[in-house]
Amino acid sequence: MDLLQIGSYTFSSRLILGTGKFSNATVMLDAVRASGAQLVTVALRRFNREQAEDDLFGPLSAIEGITLMPNTSGASTAAEAVRAARIARELSGSPFIKVEIHPNPQHLMPDPIETYEACRILAQEGFLVMPYIAADPVLAKRLEEVGCASVMPLGSAIGSGQGLATSEMLNIIIRESGIPVIVDAGLRSPSEAAHAMEMGCEAVLVNSAVAAAGKPPVMAEAFAEAVAAGRKAFMAGLMQKSGSAVATSPLTSFLGTF
Amino acid sequence: MITIDLNGQQQPLPPGSTVIDLLSIIGSDGKSVAVVINDHIIRPENRPSHLLQEGDRVELLIFAGGG
Repeated sequence: MDLLQIGSYTFSSRLILGTGKFSNATVMLDAVRASGAQLVTVALRRFNREQAEDDLFGPLSAIEGITLMPNTSGASTAAEAVRAARIARELSGSPFIKVEIHPNPQHLMPDPIETYEACRILAQEGFLVMPYIAADPVLAKRLEEVGCASVMPLGSAIGSGQGLATSEMLNIIIRESGIPVIVDAGLRSPSEAAHAMEMGCEAVLVNSAVAAAGKPPVMAEAFAEAVAAGRKAFMAGLMQKSGSAVATSPLTSFLGTF
Repeated sequence: MITIDLNGQQQPLPPGSTVIDLLSIIGSDGKSVAVVINDHIIRPENRPSHLLQEGDRVELLIFAGGG
């Protein structure tokens, strides 16, 4: 069976779903179920007794086969991300941590220096570190060297729906990487997810594309099917491209060519 | 009464209150809440015996939606 392996964990689904931006928790939970995702991201927030329904730990944990991947959203330095990761592990019991350090809310681009430092520390502490990074092949390799479990380069800016704008760099990262490459951020449509998988990504992480869809659970299912199709195509081996036409039917011994 | 800083707000408590007492006051069973006091994580098994002190900085954190 073709399984996604991250550290010692294996998953039959290659779609990772984010839980932010949904209109309400019920829709989000329906989308998680429909997606078949086994890795699901969550964010740490301060408890507010007036918003007790924001607490997703219980409802998500009740879905069979779900592993939580907390993120360090809100951190703008390595120290803040490390602190958030330690607290999140205490709460989730999961070794997965999505390291996400973006100091500028205008563009949400990840800080490579703080990300590297946080990943180095967290990998030493035994976390399965999944850093959200710019599509930078050099950084990706450096993160592999410090023990990250995967790298998660962005397809385009978070929530932008601009798709695989970084595909040229993603191809280099995939070619060079010895750890799973997961496209995280920027995808809008299932066809883009399929394309990422055909390129050789091991998984894709989607949030806004599902949460902001007209029917989130249906879109979650569409992404799941696209990811599975893209993976199948990658495993089957895509045909080589040609600069000129290559006939699929015989061009001789027919009609006027006797 | 003592006063602690709870998620950035002043919270009065009876002297001798434990972490479990605090969670009970705010209506949480504590199962899905991380407790951090003065930058130290207080694990569930230590909550019944951990006494809160005047001026403690207490953070209670939960998992919310995020990508």
